[in-house]
Amino acid sequence: MSDSPVSTHDPKVASDSVEGPTPQDQKKMEQAYAQMKRKMSMQDISKKIKHKVMVLSGKGGVGKSTVATGLALSLAQQGMAVGILDIDITGPNVPKMMGLEGRRLHVEEGRIHPAQGHLGVKVISMAFLLDNEDTPVVWRGPIKLGAIQQFIADVEWGNLDYLIIDFPPGTSDEPLTVAQSLPDIDGMVIVTTPQDVALLDSRKSITFSESIKVPVLGVIENMSGFTIKGTTAPGSEVEISAPAGRTEKTTADKDGNFSVTLDIFKKGGGKLTAEEFDVPFLGALPFDPGFVRGGDDGVHRIVSEPEGASAIAFAAVVSAVQDQIKVDDGTSLEII
Amino acid sequence: MTDDMPTMVRLERNELDFTLTYEDRSEFVVSYDDLRHACPCAKCSPLRNDDESSKSLRRDIEKLPAEKPKIRKVGKYALGFEWVAGCSSGIYRFERLWLLANRLDPDNGKPYVHGAW
Ligand SMILES: Nc1ncnc2c1ncn2[C@@H]1O[C@H](COP(=O)(O)OP(=O)(O)OP(=O)(O)O)[C@@H](O)[C@H]1O
Ligand SMILES: [Mg+2]
Repeated sequence: MSDSPVSTHDPKVASDSVEGPTPQDQKKMEQAYAQMKRKMSMQDISKKIKHKVMVLSGKGGVGKSTVATGLALSLAQQGMAVGILDIDITGPNVPKMMGLEGRRLHVEEGRIHPAQGHLGVKVISMAFLLDNEDTPVVWRGPIKLGAIQQFIADVEWGNLDYLIIDFPPGTSDEPLTVAQSLPDIDGMVIVTTPQDVALLDSRKSITFSESIKVPVLGVIENMSGFTIKGTTAPGSEVEISAPAGRTEKTTADKDGNFSVTLDIFKKGGGKLTAEEFDVPFLGALPFDPGFVRGGDDGVHRIVSEPEGASAIAFAAVVSAVQDQIKVDDGTSLEII
Repeated sequence: MTDDMPTMVRLERNELDFTLTYEDRSEFVVSYDDLRHACPCAKCSPLRNDDESSKSLRRDIEKLPAEKPKIRKVGKYALGFEWVAGCSSGIYRFERLWLLANRLDPDNGKPYVHGAW
């Protein structure tokens, strides 16, 4: 390709080229057009998506993807238009949780179209790019980050109330790239588990949030307690030996049903972390073996048991997130 | 110190400083230079870790032309200040502004550590 800069703004060239642009011209124009389109589509995308929430954690395996899909489904349950962007290239597991395993990217006229998972939630995952889900892809940083930018610009989300963005654990590159590419992110939720609380260096996470200009919406404690259910004689006292030598007591209802929530790990760590660093505590999600099954068979807990304890817990977390997103409502600060 | 922080109800921008009013009617004046020197972003924060770079950050800020910043609310707990010249990246939590108002170290004496978590 010639690198002579043929300027299409030059009136002489423009009037001379009565037979239309040269192939080089054409190519340059196409490139410029594609770039302009990408930039415009980023702004467009941002306008069409009312709220954008990032889901992050310091440590892997704490349930980010479970929480991200759960938030998305819970919002969709409220009738909202929701999308999930799964940024995790090394271990994208959102498609599995959304019943979309094995899907490929659907591209039409240069635009990427999201797959539709449970409850109509739109899903874009790096997994759709991978040939074989069992092969972990080792993409080098710049390519990885380039792919993220392209994914953000080229996806045809349509109008969304919420876009939930699921990240790989612990690194700062991906959130930074997303924050730079997608304007007006409402904030990040930080997922932790009771036993990981000590590891979550919240001071650093808050500093990080400040440095990428994305506020912390709050902390979610996942795998918080385990609920045992059973039946016995109506109205009878039930005693259960809990961890750490404790005994939990409850009374069965008139139908003989009882349920007790046991704190398998230290209790209230997420809340303490939130208090210590003065960020909102968004709530606790129970340990629910159904999440693991759901992850395996592709039916998320919220879909299989929409009225279940986990769905209820998610709904509470969602409303806490929404409270944080209602910017300005609470603050009557007058700026002159 | 930030436990009993009152709610900020008014922020008035003056030529070289701004006046903060809290719900208990207490008033504080913070200079723009002090504010900018305390920028919490990842680029400015490490410069406050040692005295020399902190002083040179200060000098650089004082060289900037005087201007009134644009201010935006960030969620419910912070403010962003936009300047024509110099760094506009930091998100200032209300706690940080409260510490600045009270002439206390906004970093709480802790050095800045770079990295996500
Ligand atoms: N509340 C829960 N109760 C029971 N199991 C859970 C819960 N949350 C997550 N899990 C299980 O824990 C495992 C890890 O969850 P998940 O994949 O959501 O974590 P992650 O933080 O996204 O991991 P990674 O860091 O690898 O991206 C999965 O098997 C998931 O089913
Ligand atoms: Mg994950």
